[in-house]
Amino acid sequence: MDKTLILGVGNLLLKDEGVGIHVIQALEKETLPDNVSLMDGGTGGLHLLSWIQDYDRIIMVDATLDQNPPGTIRQLRPRYASDFPPLMSAHEIGLRDMIEAMILTGKLPDIQLIVISAADINEVGMELTPAVEAAVPEVIEMIKASC
Amino acid sequence: MSERIVVDPLTRIEGHLRVEAEIENGKIKDAFSSGTMVRGIETIVRDRDPRDVWVFVGRVCGVCTSIHSLCSVRAVENAFNIVIPPNAQMVRNIMEAVLYMHDHVVHFYQLHALDWVDVVSALKADPAEASALAQKLSPWPKSSVGYFTAQKDRLTKFVGSGQLGIFANGYWGHPAYKLTPEQNLIATAHYLEALEWQKEVVKVHAVFGGKNPHPNYLVGGMPCAIDLNEANAVNTERLALVKQKLQEAKTFIDQVYIPDLLMIANVYKDEWTKIGGGVSNYLSYGDFPMFEYGATDSYKIPRGIVLNRDLTKVHPVDANSSEEIKEYIYHSWYTYTQGNKAGLHPYEGETNLNYTGPRPPYTHLNVEDKYSWIKTPRWKEEPMEVGPLARMIVAYAAGKEPQKSLIDNTLKQLDLPPEALFSTIGRTAARGLESKLAADWALEFYEQLIKNLENGDSRMVNHYMWEKETWPKHAQGVGLAEAPRGALAHFIVIEDKKVKNYQMVVPTTWNASPRDEKGILSAYESSLIGTPVHDPKQPLEILRTIHSFDPCLACAVHLYDEQGSHVHQIKIDN
Repeated sequence: MDKTLILGVGNLLLKDEGVGIHVIQALEKETLPDNVSLMDGGTGGLHLLSWIQDYDRIIMVDATLDQNPPGTIRQLRPRYASDFPPLMSAHEIGLRDMIEAMILTGKLPDIQLIVISAADINEVGMELTPAVEAAVPEVIEMIKASC
Repeated sequence: MSERIVVDPLTRIEGHLRVEAEIENGKIKDAFSSGTMVRGIETIVRDRDPRDVWVFVGRVCGVCTSIHSLCSVRAVENAFNIVIPPNAQMVRNIMEAVLYMHDHVVHFYQLHALDWVDVVSALKADPAEASALAQKLSPWPKSSVGYFTAQKDRLTKFVGSGQLGIFANGYWGHPAYKLTPEQNLIATAHYLEALEWQKEVVKVHAVFGGKNPHPNYLVGGMPCAIDLNEANAVNTERLALVKQKLQEAKTFIDQVYIPDLLMIANVYKDEWTKIGGGVSNYLSYGDFPMFEYGATDSYKIPRGIVLNRDLTKVHPVDANSSEEIKEYIYHSWYTYTQGNKAGLHPYEGETNLNYTGPRPPYTHLNVEDKYSWIKTPRWKEEPMEVGPLARMIVAYAAGKEPQKSLIDNTLKQLDLPPEALFSTIGRTAARGLESKLAADWALEFYEQLIKNLENGDSRMVNHYMWEKETWPKHAQGVGLAEAPRGALAHFIVIEDKKVKNYQMVVPTTWNASPRDEKGILSAYESSLIGTPVHDPKQPLEILRTIHSFDPCLACAVHLYDEQGSHVHQIKIDN
């Protein structure tokens, strides 16, 4: 069976920016198949490479800042680093760079990306804004359905 | 005639940095560095349990991931006079040495090398010649003709796919690139090797810290049970993995990083050891205690300050003294209750945001007024450079071994005088030499840990002052660490069992800060003065010197709109 990793990324200290981590924390309370692992990737950047290249399939969860209403959930299947939405470059060394690095080092897992449109990532704080918080259960269901 | 150029965002760094430089007659006459680092961590940790703060501060950065947590537990231990057990000290040292190796190697290859190495030129290399040269430089086994042919093919395919990706922001073909195609191929091949290598060494953090990124720490020790014969603890098998990773790391640094560094330094030394020096004062808090943290004499990296590049004297530094370290806001977007010219020791630190800059998008900052989110720290009103070069210079001036011999031997190999250290190449070389030391020391810390365990000492935590009931009504402490990028200090004030104030003075604050009220420049700005810029549209020279500091403004957040322009700043509610 495909080894699958659910990877949440983001900065927990910046409200909605941390939604990926909030999703992982919520998933810890769910029952998931044995081939599925969870990872709180934080603001890991290149540090994450050592773990994610061990998996066949990655479901990555992150916040994005786009024109959609806060809490909008979108699923993407990026093929190139340039397919990533704009916010993804905000996490330190950059997820785009990480994807490039995986292409360069010859092992790119199948990546599915779930992004949640953020309302507030300009303030320091540990809690999500209401619209984004309301999206979390739907993301959980979406992930469980695709595992 | 003078011309103002803007490099924004400066790429291949952590975080967001803008540099404006005034160029006159082909040389930089004045420079302004503006960072978007806004520190709001105190608003998050205020009123929390001081023992929990490391969890939060560890999240400010994914790159320096563990060092903020380490600095935080040290601050609390300092406030309560807690001495951690020897095993915990060695585990912390091993993790920090691993961070040094990882950070320095990734910086050199992934962030800095492309300032010196022309990737596109590597595609023209003769793999046979590259192989012969590589074998002359190093015993590293991956140096056959077949290896370099394969690496060249891989690069050609990647670049040919039109997805230049990681390599997209280079000034390829710029005349300031001086390496031969073969040297470029060697360095680029090792760029790819470094990507693979870095995946392995960070596993040590997961063994001791439970996870990576953001490994676990603990006030009073380390949160890992260690027992050679226990299946569920850090046992013989896990420790063997650690040793293997440390040895592999050392081999890579000795046989790949150092030879590449020397190869590059040799080609660029005539010009780049004479420029980029900047401020002439160097600060190191010291780190890697062999005994307890208070035993500063036992540090592998000594504590002290070198003033005016005088290598005959090391001055003491006391981070707790209200007369030494102060932060100023004369050119930073903050207000102080005591006024614009005041300097505050971090225990008294204030973070009142007051943006008075131009509305984005703008052409130039108003540099006569406030122009950065970074405060300006000073030691007795003097600017300081911090980082690997500062650590090496303080050690050199102190006559500390093995640093002194290593520096002397390297200078001899490159046929350079000690003054060459005060330069862009000096900074880049210091980082490499320090990586070599970190690799050696990590194994020494490992052996010490094993010796303790074999002697029956498995203590990993000291419970003294763990219980809140034992705490005084008021306590304050400072945690110091030498982060890979330089001197890091966390200041904590604890009152009624809760955090009352928390301030961090991070390395890049020292280096990237704006000038002070007297107009005295900090490290980045100062280092650019006099640097020739061949083509203002491709300011490769600015990247070389600024990257040599390894900027980390990740404590800042920067977000881009679809067009890539800078649209957001962090706001903090006070």
